[in-house]
Formats: sequence, C-alpha cells, structure tokens
Amino acid sequence: MEIFYSLLPELIRIVIAAICGAVIVFGNALVMGYAERKLAGHIMFRPGPMEVGPHGIYQLVIDGLKLMGKQLVIPKNADTPLFMLAPLIAFAPVFVPLLVIPFSDKIQGFDLDVGLLLILAFASINVLAILIGGWSSNNKYSLFGAIRSVAQNVAYEIPMLISLLAIIFMTNTFSLKEIAAAQSPVWFVVIQPLAFLIYIVAMVAETNRAPFDLPEAESELTAGFHTEYSGMSFSLFVLGEYANMFIVCSVATVFFLGGDSGIPLPYFEYTGIIWFLLKVYLLMFFLIWIRWTYPRTRFDQLMNFCWKYLIPFSLVNLLITVVMVKLL
Amino acid sequence: MAMDVEILEDPKHHRYVLNMGPQHPSTHGVLRVLLELEGEYAMELLPVLGYGHRCHEKIAEHKPVKSFMPNTARMDYLGALIYNHGYAQLLERAAGIEVPERVEYIRVITSELNRIQSHLLWYGAYLLDLGAFTPIMYAFDDREHILDILEDVTGSRLTYCYFRVGGVSKDIDDKFVTSTRAFVKRLRSRFPMYEDLVNGNVILQNRLNDVGELTPHTCARYGITGPLLRGTGVAYDMRRAEPYSIYSQFDFEIPTGTKGDCMASFMVRFHELEQSLRIIEQALDGLPEGPIMTPKVPKKLKIPAGDYNSSVEAPRGELSYYLVSDGSDVPYRLKVRTPSYSNLSVVPEMCQGMLLSDVVSAMGALDLVIPEIDR
Amino acid sequence: MDINKLKKQWQDLSTAVEGIDYSVSGHDYNVSLERDKVRDFAALMLEEGFYLVDLMAVHVTPAIEVVYQFAHFEARCRVLARAFVDDNSEMPTISDIYQGANWHERETRDFHGVVFVDHPYLYPLILAEEDVDLKPLLKDEANLKDVDAVRRKPPEPAPEPKPEVKPEVKPEAKPEAAKSQEQS
Repeated sequence: MEIFYSLLPELIRIVIAAICGAVIVFGNALVMGYAERKLAGHIMFRPGPMEVGPHGIYQLVIDGLKLMGKQLVIPKNADTPLFMLAPLIAFAPVFVPLLVIPFSDKIQGFDLDVGLLLILAFASINVLAILIGGWSSNNKYSLFGAIRSVAQNVAYEIPMLISLLAIIFMTNTFSLKEIAAAQSPVWFVVIQPLAFLIYIVAMVAETNRAPFDLPEAESELTAGFHTEYSGMSFSLFVLGEYANMFIVCSVATVFFLGGDSGIPLPYFEYTGIIWFLLKVYLLMFFLIWIRWTYPRTRFDQLMNFCWKYLIPFSLVNLLITVVMVKLL
Repeated sequence: MAMDVEILEDPKHHRYVLNMGPQHPSTHGVLRVLLELEGEYAMELLPVLGYGHRCHEKIAEHKPVKSFMPNTARMDYLGALIYNHGYAQLLERAAGIEVPERVEYIRVITSELNRIQSHLLWYGAYLLDLGAFTPIMYAFDDREHILDILEDVTGSRLTYCYFRVGGVSKDIDDKFVTSTRAFVKRLRSRFPMYEDLVNGNVILQNRLNDVGELTPHTCARYGITGPLLRGTGVAYDMRRAEPYSIYSQFDFEIPTGTKGDCMASFMVRFHELEQSLRIIEQALDGLPEGPIMTPKVPKKLKIPAGDYNSSVEAPRGELSYYLVSDGSDVPYRLKVRTPSYSNLSVVPEMCQGMLLSDVVSAMGALDLVIPEIDR
Repeated sequence: MDINKLKKQWQDLSTAVEGIDYSVSGHDYNVSLERDKVRDFAALMLEEGFYLVDLMAVHVTPAIEVVYQFAHFEARCRVLARAFVDDNSEMPTISDIYQGANWHERETRDFHGVVFVDHPYLYPLILAEEDVDLKPLLKDEANLKDVDAVRRKPPEPAPEPKPEVKPEVKPEAKPEAAKSQEQS
C-alpha cells in the first residue's frame, strides 16, 4: 500500500498525460486534415472544402464519421490477423513520444534522461506497421510500397540521428527539456544550420511525405502499402501519419528552434506552449507546402541522395562539432 | 487473358508479373500493361489493348460519308477538332470541293485552340503522374477558357462536331475574336509562371532527363510521329511537311529537342503552346470576311472510286485517314491511322530494363489517349 | 533521298509504280507488289529512311489486299504499297523490319483474318481472344467488290495510265538485280 501511495502521483500523471496525448493526436489530425485540404486548395487556386459549415470547417468531422461507418474490407487472400494488426501498430506507438516532448517549461509528461532515444525507438515502429500492412495485403502494389518504405525509412533514420547527435554532443544530454533550455541565447539552427537542413530533409522522408512519398506513390503504386485498406483501418494509418509529422516537427523545434523560447508572456512556464505549437505548425505548414509544390523523386535518386550526400555531410558535421566542442 | 500471363511468367528467373491497368491512375484510360518485373525493373512489357474498341471503322462502312463526322471526335476526345479537320479535308479532297477562305481561317484558329487545350491537359496530367499535384489545376484553369470559347462557337465542350464538308457549322463572331485574343494574352502571361514552377524544378529534371530515349531511326521503325519524334531532333510536322489548309501562310517554328528523352518531348510540347498561339494571332489578324459554307456540296456526297489519304498533325502526331471508295456515298473501307497507336507500340522496346517509376514517366511522355488507340 | 533512283529500285521490286497527283489523292506513289517482294520492299524503304505510316487490309476480290503506307521525315513522299494475300490469306510479316508493323499486323489479323507468316506474336490485339474468328471487316457476298471497282478511274491527262493491277501478271522481277540495287 505504501508503494501504491508513493506511485499514485506518477500514475495520475501517466493517465493525464495519456489523455492529453490522445487529445493531441486526434486534435492534431483534425487541424492538419483541415489545414492540408484548405492549404492544398489555396495553393491550387481553388477554395478547398466549402460546403460543411463555414469554410468547410466541419468537413473533417463528417469525414471521420463516414470513415467510421464504412465497412472494413479484407481481401480474400490477405493474412487477416496481420492485416488487422498493421493499422494498430501504426497508430498505437505515436502516444509514447508525446509523453517526453517539452511543450513548455512545465508542460511535459516525463522528463526522461533518454527522451530522444525513446522518440526515435518508437518512431521506427511505424516502418514495421507499413511492412506488415503491405505484406499481409497480398497485393503486389502494397508489397512494393512496403519494401520501398523499409528501405527508405531505415536509410533516412541514419542522417536524422547523426544530425541530432551533433546537438547531443554540444549539450551533453538526451533530455529534451535540457536541450530546449540550452538554447537560451541562440537557437541551434544558427549554430548548426547544416544539421538543421539534413534533419528537415530526413524528416520529410521519414514521414513518407511528398516529394518522398514513394511508399504510397499513387501514380505508380495506386496507393502503395494502404491500397487494400478501407474505412477506419485506413484512417488509423492517416492518424498515425499526422501524429508522426507532429512528433518529428516537435523534435525539430526542440533541437533547433529553441523549444518554447520566444517573446515572454505572463506565466511563461505554461504559456510557452503557444510559441512551441506555433513553431511546430510552421514546420508542418512547410511540409504541406512542399508536398503540393514538388513532383515526386525516383526511388534510386532518393536512396542515392541519402547515402551519397546526407550521411557523409552529417558525419562531417558531427566531426566538426566534436572537434569544436573539444577545443572550446 | 490468361495466356498473356503464362507467356510472361517464368519461374526460373524469379520474375513476376505486375498487372498495370485497365484501372490504374497513370494509364489514363482503359489501357492495360503487363509488366514482367525483376525487383523494380521492368524486363518485359506487354500492352493489352481493346478495352475501348467501338468499331469505328466498321461503322464507317455502314453509313454515308458525311455522317461519320461525329465519330471522328470520339476517337481522340482531346483533339476532336483536328480529327474533324482531317476527315473534312479527306472528303473535300476526294470530292474536289473548294473551301472558302474564311472557313480555312476558322478551322485553323479552332484547331490550334484545340491543340493548346490538349497540350495543357497533357501538361497537368503528366505532372500528376510524376507526383506534382498542383500544376494540373493551373493547366485546367487555362484550359477552361478554351473550352468556354469553343463551347460558344461549337456548342460542345469536348467531342466537337463543328466542321462540315465544305465549311463549318456556325460562323464565329466578334465575341469569339475578342475572347480568343484575351486568352492568347493570358496564356502568354502564364508561361513564365509555368517555367518557374515546373520546368526548372530539379526533381523534374532528374525524373525526365535520360529517361525513355528515342532515336530518329527508332521512330522510323515504329512510325512514331509528333512531339516524340521532334524531341529527337527531326523537325517533322505535318503542318510543314505536307502543308494542309492554310498553314503554309503562317510564320511559326517547329520546336525540336536533341536527346529524344522525356525531357526533350516535354519541352517540345511546352514550346508548341507558344507556336500555336502565334498561329492563332496571325490567323485572327488575317481573318477575312466571306461565306462559311461552300454552296455546292450535294446532300448525298458521292466519292469517286479510288483511294484517298488525308494526313494532319494531331496533338500526338500524324493522323491519317485512308478512304477506299467504290463510287457510292458509303466508304468501302475507311482506315484511321491514329498517332498514339504507333507511339504506344514502342513501349515494349523503350521501357525495357527501366524502373517502374520511369515506365510511368516514359508512358506519360507518350501523351496517350486510349480511345484513339482502340478506336 | 534520290527519288528517281528510288523509283528505279521500286520498279525492280514491283509490278507497277504509279505516280499520283497529291492534291487529288493525298499520296504521291502507288506501288503494286508481289507477295514475296514485300519484305524486300520494306527493307529498302527502311534503308531510305521512310517510316511506316500505316498498314491495313481491304477486302476485295480476287483476294484481300494489304496496303502499306510509307512516308519520309525529310521530304514529302507518301508511298502506298499494295499486295494481295495468297489463297490461305497469308502474307509475309514485316514486323522484324518495321517493328511498328507488329501491332498493325495483329490488328489486320483481328479484322480481316490475314495471317502474317513468321509474326512473333500473332495474338488478338484490338478484339478479345474469344473473337479470334470474328473477322468483322470482311465483306459479305453482296457488298464484296472487285478490285477494279475501287481503283481510281484514270483522269483525262493521265501521267501514267496504269489503273488496274492484277497479281497474276508479271511474275518476272529479278531478285538479284534488286539486291544489287539496294546495296548501291
């Protein structure tokens, strides 16, 4: 009983953090779904959704209801247990990284010593979900998408991690809160511009967004790994994708854009979240912007770009950082 | 078509068959391509046609020559007026009918508008194949103006039946002239935007350069014409090579490429937009007054016995009508040589050993319109 | 492309070469071929830089006539070559010379039942495989015309008055001469 009472605050904290995480995941999906369609519309000189509610703001709610009401079609020759499992694997792990993200000084689930490692570890599970989904669909297009996705994500995790390691060497900690706090005079984007660029590119590839959306390249692979998915199982993949976007953008904000730092407001230890979210959604806007602007790269070019440019450059950057840290 | 698969499937080589189409986002219609893949490389390709076969040549043998005109528009729904043009010219040539000058000008203006419309649709759809979503909306924005202009004068938006033997069905008015001039000005002003947004993009360059290379000799062997041929450096355009209508009076260039790859044909098509605008401007400047129909065309048009050919430059290449007549008003045999048919037939050779993504970009560069292949 | 030399080569290979007024018919030359000279003719045309515009069949008596249309990229020279199929509706293929003929021959096989000998893959292209024997463009008895009925009547100032060509006439074209002409 003593142990229970001593753990109770932690348990309550976990429950609250999980609820907040769910709110963030679903709220983010609603905002992003609407923003993506609206922005895509305006980029294309058309208004986007306009019918449901003023400027179509209820469109996503209606879409969610529609997707929930739809039949889950399972192909005849699909591997049914894996087929059903894949969307859950894609969706479930996105809650965990949210626990360690420091939205502001006081708004954070846990300040873990290994926060970054936790995020990277759970972000990699997404690849497994795509592979399982593509494999179990028993469809050649899905399989293509899955194979491309694995090759792409495994390759792009390396420059992503190495570019972040440069920051780790400078701050001597994996704790996201301390990294964010370490940028009080200058943001690391100024000190480490190359690492920032590499991270941004790897981030786009890691979330399978255009111009690196090869796993779901619809003009080549119809819809890639989720060709056979319908209804809610499809929307779980989409929710997972938006949540992953949120996570990678949050990491970029923490590592390069100073976390919650900005013009101080009253109660800044809480209101810093405004600056944090502003930076995150600016990055998300950037993701949407390039998605609707650029054509898709080819698979070999994508891999060449990673292995021939991003990884060597990030290694050089790391080396320089290490030397500089040692000297100064 | 189980037999096709059996032919391609070869368990020894760990190859497998990917069925692309007839419902696939980048085959642009009911085209089916069987790809024998090794990894992601296409080692063999087998296009399967005929899903949209509507027996146009058989229909032609069963009705008076003049009433086949609407069918021509249904073959290539994007170049309908040019198909009208070729057919009207065929009958005029065969029956020895002179066409008033104003009619020729109207035909040239509307045909060139139609060509621009077709190229704009290709521009958007091709970039959609390459994964760029936005340009198609910009291209459709421009294309909509042409459809509105042509709707006013022809009455339809896509499958026009505007030309008649010896004339056109309706005269153009001042509104047509002013709105066409406005459109020419507008599209010119949009070219820099297209160049900035799309043509200079490094991803696009990497996707298209050195992909699907053709040589003039390959083109001769397969009968490839149109922008693909001009991309290889051969300035062969029916408007110049066998000047029909009044094209010989206009000053325009034939854009050519050098390498014959997808980028070359891409740029050729893009520059053809500008050349079509030039032709339209000159034709509008020189538009004469006069009748829009030859008075002496008989109701029952009898074609003297013999064979007749009429070739025009469709948006995708050379379109030929070949008519064999036995002296009656019904064709004995009408054969339509459609450019996409010959252009597509190069795919098994051109795409051999390509990545799947390159197959999509190479086939997109052919600018396929499947109904004109199946006829 | 030297048109006079070419005409001589055509004459060696064919039974008749006829120049036609382009403004009337839309093509420049009519070449009537024997069945066994079709491949030589196609090889010659490819060597001279012609491309294959079209290949089609016309059902007439005495036999189905296969029409090849060639044109040139550099100068206007539109040539129609014709040959009759034999009793088994057979015709040598030119799909190994002009690869573009591959599909045209398959289509002709669909529509008229002309069998192109040595064609690599004479499988239905436009029609479905169950319609192999449909041959929709063959004329029935009532509509079938003689080949003379669909030939152009000679105009008054005829340049080369040779309107009718029968496949039986003139079997004596010299293949050796044709070969040497080709090489030169």
